Amino acid sequence: MSAGSLPGRFLAAFVAKNGTGHFWGQRLSAIALVFLGLWFAWCLTTMSALGYADAVEFIAAPTNRVLLLLLCGSLGYHSYLGVEVVIDDYVHGTRIRPVSHNLSRFAHAVIGVVAMYSIMQIGPGA
Amino acid sequence: MSDYEFIDHSYDVVVIGAGGAGLRATFGLAEAGFKTACLTKVFPTRSHTVAAQGGISAALGNMGEDDWRWHMYDTVKGSDWLGDQDAIEYMCKEAAAAVIELEHYGVPFSRTEDGKIYQRPFGGMTTHFGEGTAQRTCAAADRTGHAMLHALYQQSLKHDAEFFIEYFAVDLIMEDGACRGVVAIDLATGRLHRFRSHQIIFATGGYGRAYFSCTSAHTCTGDGSAMVLRAGLPVQDMEFVQFHPTGIYGAGMLITEGVRGEGGFITNSEGERFMERYAPNAKDLASRDVVSRAMTIEIREGRGVGPDKDHIFLHLEHLGPDVIEEQLPGIAESARIFAGVDVRKEPIPVLPTVHYNMGGIPANFNGQVVTSKDGDSEALVAGLMAVGEAACVSVHGANRLGSNSLLDLVVFGRAAAQCCVAAMTPEARHRPLAADAGQNSVARIDRLRFANGSRPTAEIRLEMQKVMQGHAAVFRTGTVLDEGIGLLRDTFASFADVRVSDRSMIWNTDLVETMELENLLFNAVATIESAANRLESRGAHAREDYPDRDDENWMKHTLAWVDDSGKVSFDYRPVHMETLTDEVEYIAPKERVY
Amino acid sequence: MAEFRLPKNSRIVNGKHYAAAVGASNVRQFAVYRYDPSAKDNPRVDTYTVDMDSCGPMVLDALIKIKNEIDPTLTFRRSCREGICGSCAMNIDGSNTLACTLAIDSVKGDVKIYPLPHLPVVKDLVPDLTDFYAQYASIKPWLQTRTVPPAGQERLQSKDDQELIDDPAACILCACCSTACPSYWWNSDRFLGPAALLASYRWLVDSRDEAADERLDDLEDSFRLYRCHTIMNCTQACPKGLNPAKAIAATKKMLVERKL
Repeated sequence: MSAGSLPGRFLAAFVAKNGTGHFWGQRLSAIALVFLGLWFAWCLTTMSALGYADAVEFIAAPTNRVLLLLLCGSLGYHSYLGVEVVIDDYVHGTRIRPVSHNLSRFAHAVIGVVAMYSIMQIGPGA
Repeated sequence: MSDYEFIDHSYDVVVIGAGGAGLRATFGLAEAGFKTACLTKVFPTRSHTVAAQGGISAALGNMGEDDWRWHMYDTVKGSDWLGDQDAIEYMCKEAAAAVIELEHYGVPFSRTEDGKIYQRPFGGMTTHFGEGTAQRTCAAADRTGHAMLHALYQQSLKHDAEFFIEYFAVDLIMEDGACRGVVAIDLATGRLHRFRSHQIIFATGGYGRAYFSCTSAHTCTGDGSAMVLRAGLPVQDMEFVQFHPTGIYGAGMLITEGVRGEGGFITNSEGERFMERYAPNAKDLASRDVVSRAMTIEIREGRGVGPDKDHIFLHLEHLGPDVIEEQLPGIAESARIFAGVDVRKEPIPVLPTVHYNMGGIPANFNGQVVTSKDGDSEALVAGLMAVGEAACVSVHGANRLGSNSLLDLVVFGRAAAQCCVAAMTPEARHRPLAADAGQNSVARIDRLRFANGSRPTAEIRLEMQKVMQGHAAVFRTGTVLDEGIGLLRDTFASFADVRVSDRSMIWNTDLVETMELENLLFNAVATIESAANRLESRGAHAREDYPDRDDENWMKHTLAWVDDSGKVSFDYRPVHMETLTDEVEYIAPKERVY
Repeated sequence: MAEFRLPKNSRIVNGKHYAAAVGASNVRQFAVYRYDPSAKDNPRVDTYTVDMDSCGPMVLDALIKIKNEIDPTLTFRRSCREGICGSCAMNIDGSNTLACTLAIDSVKGDVKIYPLPHLPVVKDLVPDLTDFYAQYASIKPWLQTRTVPPAGQERLQSKDDQELIDDPAACILCACCSTACPSYWWNSDRFLGPAALLASYRWLVDSRDEAADERLDDLEDSFRLYRCHTIMNCTQACPKGLNPAKAIAATKKMLVERKL
């Protein structure tokens, strides 16, 4: 074994200059989710009934609507970051890895937009 | 024989060994633009320098007054006046700069309250030419060797030095008495590599494994001195083998002298601090040969501890948990693991254990290998240098002081690099090698790889170790040595009947251990015969039949040649009694008391 | 994709059994992974029955006894035999550790010995550590400064500052931590692993080093550093009792603080 040469992939030139944002975003969204999740659970337990009309009435309240939008946003963002980690950990092919990342991005975007759009549809002005 | 095709390389310098001295030489040369290869049989940070604990000596004066001349006096006295005073002056004068250089490399030295390098007392280190106790040994807790070796490897990475890791050097390529290169086997592939170079630097360490019980690593097999012997050159002062007073009883691991430097002491079965009788001034911090002899006498006179009264206790309970945790954490761990002892509550069972070889490849203070030829006792061997424990410069003479070996490594590793830089130009042209260059190595490998005798390597090795342990120990007498020589000759001869079981080429440790055993045998024979030959007591060589130092007849270095049949012949080199400069006066021999 | 089974030629088969020496009464079984690259065979597990009455206390003692007295072809790295050189790192009884400091008595039942996991095996218990060493070298593990050191004098460092580097500098590069880390198993081609990251931290917190920013820049990468998911196997495995996981967490904190 000769230590004469370093495999190129360990050289500093290959540093991607990313990661801390991801790391920090994951933690911030997690903290947000703790509060928003608790709020949402509390709402569910305190609602008198859980029928369609009750749900519409709940979402229509402006405070609830804002917090629900925040919940969906944080959840989607957190899930997106989490799935990125899983892909980077387990998906190793040089082609399948970026394809998986793009699929995840697309799926999260679609689900996020649909969820938020749906919430916006319910309300006094809708 | 397609198994043995050479892969050829050409280098300005090839360093064999990547311990402290080898690394210091390697990156010194790499830094100066020389094409340098460092061959090592273990990854550099696994070299045995890593196990050095107590520290590295230098008269920095961080913890009280100090002067390099006092250090020189102590070293000369410690060597029992067998050390060459020009080399000792060089080492002690360079010491401060060498340690500062290490600090600048990032070695994590322990610190004093004002942020300087922490220094502890060590055996034989005094102030005012033997008057007071010096705090001269710079320490990184009790893992100074580890801290240093890693820093030196890091510097080698910084300077992009070229390493051949897990390459085992087989034999030198000699041409008309000059060294032209070396052959090594790459363990990972089993391929043979032939290195042509203008200069070979041996930094192969000692041969503690010639003995049954030693603090040395399994890899300390004297490969360099054996290669030199097989090349028809002599080794020097091999009779001087240092027994460290405090090896763990039974297991043999080192417990640093720093323990006694920090205030630890040893006792016999009567609980007596017996060193007060043997060395009234220095007590437990007398030099190692003195303490080892005292312990051996105590045990012999029935005052050993344990059920068989065959060892001694080392106490550090009284130091308190803070000192132990801060300055001696590694010792606490070793004692717990290997002796089952909680050092905060109980003493460590210890015994004098083979630790260091003062002898080795004769070299001057530039690292150049010398021999005695045609009446010239300073005849240089072209193309060959030696540094570190493998070499005998001789700065340690008949007995090395603790913490002088780490100093030896960096000072002479650096000196060797500087000597090359001064004498050579980078990328100088090489003459072609002879067509059969390196065939001696091929023959050796092929002979041993297919050795199909009746005695496995381990059996012969154990026999050699037992003979050395029993016949060339702390105290020696002519009859016991002669008996040992007879036994060892048989063992040496029986190597022709060795059996190797692994015939493969890839990572064949059976083959490597057999080559190492052959190397050890050369060293062992030189050691025991040199011991029988020297009719006096000096430093670590204590003859009961010649209890006094005899400066008139024996203030000289032994040179020993060993031929292929194990026959030893002797010559001598004078001790250098002149100093290097006028900055210090020659230290005349006198009685050595601590 | 991540592989969850060994490739066909790496699957382990049963090997030879070596009975105890005649007359041995106090014996232990050692099941040892064997792989000979010269033969085309799959790796196997040989079992050796060792007479404990004539064997030292540590697992390394047993391996050496096997090599000396039973099977000289058994291949493993070893050197200092006192836990400071890091040569004899291997997987014993399911954990990565040093064979020289693990007492045989601390293992229950048969002593199962495998090479460090998830590295290419060169032979028997000898893994290929080339990448591991390259990762270490890639973090530039040497003191980097811009200011000139004081001439003829050490750089001063307070005892408290020294204490910060004391532990991380005690790493012996045995690779027990990195090869115990699942993230390293999955992504060792790009993740630096706990050992290299601990080494990096050692320089980040060294009061004498002046390249913290560059060092952090070199770690700002979702693979090199951020594959660490705080699994903590590294800290659990370290035979020297060091804490690479904590060092990595501290490094991440430095990066966030720098960003904010």
